[in-house]
Parts: sequence; structure tokens; C-alpha cells
Amino acid sequence: MPANRLRTLAAAALAPLLAVVAGCSTGATPAAEAAGQPRSGGGLTWAVETEPITLNPHQYAQAKARLLVWNTFESLLTYDKQGKLAPWLATGWQVAPDGLSYTLTLRDGVIFSDGTPLDATAVKANIDKLREPGYAPAVAAVQLRNLTAVEVVDPRTVRLILTTPDVLILDFLASPQGAQISPRSLREAKNLKAGGVDVVGTGPFVLDRYVAGQELHYRRNPGYDWAPPTATHTGPAYLDEVTYRFLKESAVRVGALTSSQVQVIEGVPATDQPLVTGNRALRLTRELNSGSAYSYYFNTSHPPFDDVRVRQAFREAVDVDTVLRSVYRDTATRAWSVISPSSPLYDKRLDGSAYSGDAAKANSLLDQAGWTARDAEGYRVKAGKRLTVRLVQSAPFVRDRRDVLAQAVQAAVKRSAGIDLKVSLVDQGTATDAIQRNEYEVFDNSRADTDAGAALNLLLHSKGGINRTQINDPGIDQLLEAGQAAVDPTKRAGIYADLQQRVVVEQALLLPLYAPADQIAASTGVGGVRFEPTAGVPASAYDLWIGK
Amino acid sequence: MSSPPVRAVARRLGTGLVVLWVAATAAYLALLAAPGDTVDNIVGDGADTPQIRAEIIADWGLDRPAVVQYLDYLGRLGGGDLGRSYLLQRPVTEVIGEQLAPTLTLAVAAAGLGVLLALLIAVATAGYRRPWLRRLSSGTELLLVSTPSFLIGLLLLSVLSFRFGFFPVSGDQGVVALVLPAVTLALPIAGLLAQVLRDGIDKALDEPFVLTARSRGVRERSVLVRHALRHAVLPAVSLAGWVFGIVIGGTVIVEQVFGRPGLGQVTLSAVTTRDMPVVLAVVTLSAAGYVVVNTTADLAYLLVDPRLRRS
Repeated sequence: MPANRLRTLAAAALAPLLAVVAGCSTGATPAAEAAGQPRSGGGLTWAVETEPITLNPHQYAQAKARLLVWNTFESLLTYDKQGKLAPWLATGWQVAPDGLSYTLTLRDGVIFSDGTPLDATAVKANIDKLREPGYAPAVAAVQLRNLTAVEVVDPRTVRLILTTPDVLILDFLASPQGAQISPRSLREAKNLKAGGVDVVGTGPFVLDRYVAGQELHYRRNPGYDWAPPTATHTGPAYLDEVTYRFLKESAVRVGALTSSQVQVIEGVPATDQPLVTGNRALRLTRELNSGSAYSYYFNTSHPPFDDVRVRQAFREAVDVDTVLRSVYRDTATRAWSVISPSSPLYDKRLDGSAYSGDAAKANSLLDQAGWTARDAEGYRVKAGKRLTVRLVQSAPFVRDRRDVLAQAVQAAVKRSAGIDLKVSLVDQGTATDAIQRNEYEVFDNSRADTDAGAALNLLLHSKGGINRTQINDPGIDQLLEAGQAAVDPTKRAGIYADLQQRVVVEQALLLPLYAPADQIAASTGVGGVRFEPTAGVPASAYDLWIGK
Repeated sequence: MSSPPVRAVARRLGTGLVVLWVAATAAYLALLAAPGDTVDNIVGDGADTPQIRAEIIADWGLDRPAVVQYLDYLGRLGGGDLGRSYLLQRPVTEVIGEQLAPTLTLAVAAAGLGVLLALLIAVATAGYRRPWLRRLSSGTELLLVSTPSFLIGLLLLSVLSFRFGFFPVSGDQGVVALVLPAVTLALPIAGLLAQVLRDGIDKALDEPFVLTARSRGVRERSVLVRHALRHAVLPAVSLAGWVFGIVIGGTVIVEQVFGRPGLGQVTLSAVTTRDMPVVLAVVTLSAAGYVVVNTTADLAYLLVDPRLRRS
């Protein structure tokens, strides 16, 4: 999309100008909580990058919309900082010894903002709705594929019956898709799948205004008293009201913040970060997302990446640290595995290991693989064919300047090993077409699942929905299935460690690049700015307050 | 007596309907021919299993032959039903309905401002009275016409909003928030229209009737505004369709930069995700807009040029 490229360029060109215009002053970083003690009252405006395509949590599909979901909706479980499950609307759960049923006890006194109490019938209504044909096909086919029935044991107890042991059902219960909607909304909402003010939940805020293309407005839910243990306070939210305004251009978000038109923004790209860190009235915080790292997956179904030596050579040909620094300055965190380093399932043995941008090694591996000759342009050739690999990026899903990163990798592999990486930035239809016709050798992706196991099932299982390496290895499938069935966390981590060794070290199926992160920039007058534990995305407005 | 005008109006309406049908069909065919199929686009980058695909196909009736889907679409379009958005899961009439007003407000404000500016500039700089002003003005016009509105918008924002705080950055919050987006869109329009108008005035000033008027002792300002400008307006009126296009196209960028609600944002996301019902509705609606604007322009000729009225 040339228009997109043009705007990126224009934004880059404008950044220094904006710095001058905004009149930033340099200064020391402020103390952690300059806003003083938490206090109740007031309202603020938060500029967000992404307008959610739906406000119904069951239909949730955008990690960037997660912070909005938890204002009005809540799930039965949540994750704490260590990545362990914590109670929320459910006070606890019990797994049957055979792993085939989960019994949940619901918290007392929780009511939806339309007055309906949250009880076992309400939970059953939500899960049954999710399994209704045509309502949420992605949830029914992936997260709930092993669920056969939901039983109401008594008003406070609900039981989920599975066909096969599946610990990821707990991840579903902690996910936005597992959030509880008032049964009355499920029956009566005008546009249930799109959500809106008439689709209500139990959360600390109530959505009372949605102006499409412009903003969402929430007011405090005064009766709220069931915050999860991961929050920093209990009782109703501090803020009377909060407005989320959609500002898609990062330069505009930062400008709105530096001119005090908004108090909080999310999504601050590397080029704009100096504007925030250089301003004493502002504070920048960042956190790594959970899920899978941003990686290049190698298509093993045809040459040249059917040869493990070529896959290894491609990895050695990229000096990842240098490439990341040139694109993101020092704001990116390098990834070493298919799993993000912030996930509890990440195998720490991979830190700084495996491959190191060793051009000599890359060249000797390619020589061994038979790519010995070079053509006039310096690319390696074998049997008259150039060593060309294609990366097709779908423009609507390119974020974090991944198109620029691809150009940096392209230059690196050409220079150090004579590999011809062809990058094309196309519309989604063209990208899907290329993948279906198997006309690609490199596939780029990151996923923001709270439980990395869910991401790996899609990416690495031979029957996975986005198995773009097209690997069909019974060993990998077995490990993934064992990981999904393992109830004991230590045993489970061990299984995923084995899996990472196999996938990253032995088979070199991918080149991990960086761990996606989210950033929040806020006025120092705003307190309680934090990220959702484990997910690593901006948290809801529940803990925010305005200092005096 | 009244039958020729009635027939003329009927013919215009008929032509308009044909234009609409052609536009709707062309858009339909273009989307059909574009790579990737509808199911892929609904799936997006989410989970993808045969079961999910089957449900989507059943849900949207995508298993019917293309011709049947097309006829069904035309039939519903004729009845005013624009279908349901793949992505937003809401009726398209509703999606577009609530976004139409902000875009129209912006478009009218921008077009009005652009025309006004163009008239002022053209009248002030036409003729050979002030060569330096003329040079300055045509240089600025060229710059404005060739600068992407994205850049103009960001510059206006960074100076007038971020630095001095005269105007709010975002949203549809009354007249104050309309100023910067409208100016951003109006400047390129003003730039081009001013050049066309000035050119027209210059030509008219060389005509014999101006000499006649002057010799009758008509004041220079009056010559310029009442006689020359009137001639110059004709070619400018024929640019009305172009202005409409600039404004509608420009809203895509301007609404994005200023965080304004409107059709531009809807169009952008619908095109990138190939949300077919929304794209088709926007194309048909824009075609209808063109038809209305061009018909109005034709009528305006009659008003401006008495010669056309007689024939």
C-alpha cells in the first residue's frame, strides 16, 4: 500500500519537527508514582491506536482491544504476574483426577450492571451461546473443541465436561472470549455480535456512549466490589469516567499527549519515544507481550528450506542484534525462541544460544548444501537456480514497522551469505492466495495468547490452523498434545522446554526476532498506570487515578 | 408545454440509475476478481479450521453461484438493503448511516471554504496589477496542490493544536474541531480552483466586452467581479465533480489523522479487510454523490450562462 508507506515516511520526517514544536525539555525521569496517593474522582481521556471491530468480548480478536474488554467485562479466572491462574468471578476450580471435568465455584454477590445476578445458569448461558453455530466459530472450533457439556450443579457451582484432558480450557476461562455477558443481553441485544451499550457485563465501568470512529465513553459502576487479586485496590474504580479516543497516527497521539489534550496514550513507536522520555511531565512504561515471539517461519515443504542446513544458514546470516538496533534503536527485546521470553513456558536455556549471526558458518552451511556458485549479482546459485526465498506480508496486519525490519533482514542475508530474500507487502487477499498456493518460503507472525501453548498448537501442530512451516513431525505433535493435557505446571513446562529444543535448536524451523511489547505514555499526574499481568498489554482503567 | 423539461429530468434520472448500476456492478466484479476469497477475508489472521470455514460459508450464503449472489445483491440494493458487514457484524445501512453526517459536514465545510478561498485569491491576483503577489500566490497554490493532505494535516496539528492549543486534536466536538480538518481538505482545492479561476479571469479580461465595459466607465472592480469572474466560473463549475472526488478521497486520510468519525475511516478499514458489503455500499453511495453533483453542475451552467438558457 503506497499510501501507507508514504505516511510512514511523512511521520518519520516529521518526528524531529514535532520534537521542536512540542517544546520538549529534557530532564530526569520522574519518581515511580508522581501522582501521589490514590484518590477517587475525576475523569481522563486515553488515546488508543485501534478501534475495536466488536465490543462483544465473545467475538474478541484484537490484542489491542483487550484493555477495553476488561472495563466492562470480566472472566471467571485471570493470570497473576508469575503466569499462574488466579480467581476472579470464580473463587476456585477443581479438576477431576482423569482431567475430564472442571468444577468451578462462583463468587457470591456478583451482579451484572443490568441487575441480573451472576450464577451458574448465567455461566452456562454464556458458554452454550459460544457453542451456538454461527455465533463464534473460532472459539467453538479451537478453545472449546474438547468441551461436551456445561452442567449447573447448584446456583454457585458449574461443571465443564471434556472429551479429552485439556488444560487450555482454563486459559479459555481467563480469556476475553470467556468473559461473562449478562444473559439478558445475550437474549435481547440489538446487535449482539457487534456489542455496544446494550451488551453489559460485571466490570468496574459501564459503557454509556460509543461514537464509531471517534470514542468510547465509560462511567464508573458504583456497586462494583469483586476486583481480582491481581488489581492494586478493591471496591469501585477510582475514576468517575474515562474516555478512549481513537487516534490511529502515533505522531498525533504523542502530540495530543504533549499538549495535554489527552492524559494517557498507548502505542508509542521507537521513533516517538524520545518525545516522551525527554519530557518531565510524562512517563513512558513498556512491557513484553505474552504468547509467541515475532519470528520468521521457514516453509519446509519445498526447496530450499526443506534442507535444515539452509534454514540454519539463513539464521546465521542475520545478525539479529544489529538489525534490531538499526530499525528500533534500543527499544526492541530480542527473542530466542518461538515463545516470548516473558512467558512462564519459555525455555531459558535458549537465552543467547543456538545461533549468533556467524556469516562464516552461514556460508559454509550453504556450501555444504550445494549452493556453491554465485551469479552476477552476488547471489548464491545451485543448478542454475538462484537462492531466492519469498516473504509475503499482508499490509493490514503489518505493525511495529515490520516491513522496514524485513528490508533490514533482506540486506543482511544478501550481504553476508548471498541469499535473495524477496519481500512483498500486499493486500490480505493476495497474501492468503500466496500461502494457499504454497508460493512462499518465509512466513512472519507473532501471537498474543496468554498461554503460549495455545499459540504453538496453531503454529507447530501438523494440523494447526497456521502451520506455515508445513512441518509434519509426530514428535512435535506428541509434545504439543502432552503439553495440552499436562495438569502439573512443572511437568508442563518441561514438555514445552523439550518442544522448544526440538523446534528451535534441532530443526531450526524458525528465526525468532523480537518479543512484541506494548508501551503506555502518561502524564505524571495519572497514577496506577500498569499492564495486565502475564498478557503484558495495557490494563483496564480500574486502577487508574488522577493525582492532585 | 411542461413535457420537455419533464422528459429531460426523466432522462437525467435514467442516466443516473444506469451510472449507479454500472458502478455497483463494476465494484462487485472488481472485488470478485481481486485475489483471495471471501471466506479467507472473514477468517482474517484468526484461527482457521475446516469447521470454521463451513460455518462462515453457511452463515453468509457463500456456497451459492456467483451469479445468484450478484442478483441477490442487486435485488436487495434496489430495495435499499445494503446487507450486513462481514467484519462489524452490523447492517451496512446502520454503519454508513451513523458515519454519513460527520463526513458530509466535513465535505461541505471543506468544499465551501475551498471555493471561497479560491474566489478571493483569484480576484485578488488576476490581471497584471501586482506581479509579485501573483507569483507568490501561484507558487503557494502549486505547493498546496502537490503536498499530500496527510502532511498538511500533521503540520497544522503540530503548530495550531500541539504547540498553541487553539484547536482540539480530535473528534467531532462541534465547530472548533471542524476547523483544522476542513482547512486541510480545503487548501488543495483552493490551490487548483484559484489557478483555474485566475486563468479564466485573465482570458476574459482580454475579451472585447471588457474593453466595451471599461469604455462605458465601469469601475475596474466591477469589471472584474461582474463580468470577468462570471466567465471564469464556467470552467470552474465543471470541476465540481473533481472537487467532490478530492473531498471524498481526502476524508479517508483526514479522518484518520484527526481521529474524526466518518465514512473515510469506514472505507479504509472495509477496503483493507475486503469487507465486501461495506465497500460496495460506499462505492454505490459515492457514485450517487457524483450523479447528484454533476446534475447540479449542469443546472448551474444554466444559471451562470444565459446563452445556454436560450438554446
